[in-house]
Amino acid sequence: MSATVSTPGSTPGPASGQSRKRILDRVRSATHGSGHGFAEPADAYAALPRTYVRRGTLTAEARLALMIERLREYDAEVIECTPANLVASIAAQLTASGKHTFAAPEGLNSDWLVPGFDWKADHRLTTAEIEQAEGVVTACFCGVADSGTIVLHHSPAEGRRVLTLLPDWYLCILRASQVVETLPEYFDRCTQPPVLVTWISGPSATADIEMTRIKGVHGPRFLHVILVRDEI
Amino acid sequence: MSHLATAQPAMPHPDLDPLSAPPFPKAALPILRNPQLRHNVAHAIDVIQAKRAKLVTEKADWQELRSAASAIRAQALENLGAYLEEFETRCTAAGGTVHWAADAAEARQTILDLLRQENASEVIKIKTMTSAEIQLNPFLEAAGVSVFETDLAEIILQLGDDEPSHIVVPALHVNRSQVREIFARRMGLKDLSDDPHALTAAARTYLRQKFLNIPTAIGGANFLVAETGSVAVVESEGNGRMCLTLPRTMITLAGIEKVLPRFQDLEVMLQVLARSATGERMNPYTSLWTGVTPGDGPQRFHVVLLDNGRSSILSRTKERQTLKCIRCAACMNACPVYRQTGGHAYGSVYPGPIGAILTPQLMQMHHAQSLPFASSLCGACYEVCPVKINIPEVLLELRAQVVNQERHQFARLLDPMYLGMKIANLLFQKAWRFHLAQRLGRIGARLFTQRDGWIHSLPSIGAKWTQTRDLRALSSQTFHEWWAARKGEAK
Repeated sequence: MSATVSTPGSTPGPASGQSRKRILDRVRSATHGSGHGFAEPADAYAALPRTYVRRGTLTAEARLALMIERLREYDAEVIECTPANLVASIAAQLTASGKHTFAAPEGLNSDWLVPGFDWKADHRLTTAEIEQAEGVVTACFCGVADSGTIVLHHSPAEGRRVLTLLPDWYLCILRASQVVETLPEYFDRCTQPPVLVTWISGPSATADIEMTRIKGVHGPRFLHVILVRDEI
Repeated sequence: MSHLATAQPAMPHPDLDPLSAPPFPKAALPILRNPQLRHNVAHAIDVIQAKRAKLVTEKADWQELRSAASAIRAQALENLGAYLEEFETRCTAAGGTVHWAADAAEARQTILDLLRQENASEVIKIKTMTSAEIQLNPFLEAAGVSVFETDLAEIILQLGDDEPSHIVVPALHVNRSQVREIFARRMGLKDLSDDPHALTAAARTYLRQKFLNIPTAIGGANFLVAETGSVAVVESEGNGRMCLTLPRTMITLAGIEKVLPRFQDLEVMLQVLARSATGERMNPYTSLWTGVTPGDGPQRFHVVLLDNGRSSILSRTKERQTLKCIRCAACMNACPVYRQTGGHAYGSVYPGPIGAILTPQLMQMHHAQSLPFASSLCGACYEVCPVKINIPEVLLELRAQVVNQERHQFARLLDPMYLGMKIANLLFQKAWRFHLAQRLGRIGARLFTQRDGWIHSLPSIGAKWTQTRDLRALSSQTFHEWWAARKGEAK
């Protein structure tokens, strides 16, 4: 490596280059030369067995009921509302939390920043400023009912990754039309592979001490979800 | 278990370096005599096993998912060269820097060089078994870098000067009162209770400022995605998200076998991993990132790809499947041997059935040769493996290699096992020899048979059996003799 501080996209040093060749040569000779060049072995990949369940079979109502049940099993709090009621529901959740300072992604629908609270919109907030927020409100990309998972792609309405990490209380707005039944159905909704993803299944937890599940180690201890019953 | 909590025999510090660790039977002995440790291990295993069984049963397509997961991993390994190059190209295009390390020493040096460039005197770490494999922490500490583990179990081990005994729940051999003692002593918290909530809160407070202030992090990878150059980390606590979001610089250490062909392959791997590992439908947090994202997360990102014996495993047809492993630990949770000994007896950071095949192979079969024998070959590991690694098959293959190594050693002539097998070989060659041996054996055994019809103690090497169990007296008639007599009667 050069003596200067490395920058993104910098190249590794000559020792690494020698090892690169050595490792790739060994790997190729171990696999009898297969996987040569950059071309993906597409035919073999296409032939892989994929007989597992891709598409869910539940009705729309049952799918949403499952999503709610699975979220609650993780100790997440879930409430439902109509699109017309959403802003009022957000206000009710924030009030019930007893907290006052909330962070919000810069692309969050401005109607959701209900008055009466101290909002910190993420126009390049510092880590210290986010750390001072008691809670955070964001949108999300998808909900997977089978595992009660919320998926963030960190779009402007979903926020930078740090935003949903430091505050202790997290309210996520999930629309019914975003809920799929199976994990493969989420992957089908990704027209392009995303650059950043966080799959969230319940609040931060550990079972490292005698396998006793404890909520909230480093991430948010409290996960709240508002399920908006838009067209499904 | 208060009666067990007192007067424990002092446990020697576990040696997990296969170069110096004692053979499995010797390392297992002090553990088998430690009821507290065995209780801790058995309790944790029982809890995980029950949770896993419930969630696997509810998944109607579990076997189909296993088949797909196995095929995806096999495909990645068969074309590893192409997928590694694809990963490197994509990751570099996204602003990451990819380094290659042929062995542990090169990986350690590469990481230290990167830390020096960053002027880093402190580093926070996500739990990574690969870093334990290359013994990174002691190396960095010796070079003057303070290393802070951030996974709760890893903190318990680091502060308690202990070693991991499991690859998913590394401190499962430590109970709450032991954790309390370690935290109270090392964090200076005299009034700490042994309630897991209080212990977890203590760890949160201990680490919070480190997360916010230390600008360099080291982690591992659960998966590398060739198609996109992305890295995925699967975790529960959020310490992983802290390490890969807050610092300025992130260094990922990953074995070359961690590659998946495409992003979509995660739809299979994420369904089988958490269910197999912790008995959850999904772990609380899984993160995936691609190189560097302006304004979000570390702006300098390095991946160190580690070989360290993996390419040599890849070259062997039967053993190659070892590299399909996704480190879920279901095999050790299911293993009757691991349940009794816990992880330290394996003398490696990779214990249990997967460790019994992985460790000796990573050592190129020069060390840890006792491990392939640390199994009853019951097959429970194969049954639960989410990527269908036929561990018993590989165990047998490695046993054969160990026996072949010993074939040329003079010492084998003094080994009762070897001599016994030689004699058995002679006896089984001819029917008359076998029948004669049966008769003589029956007469001999009569000398030791008690009036209650049991043999309670045998002399010499026979004592190894009767020390722990009784032997039923041999029948006065073999099946063959009975059959012959019966035919005679019928006539």
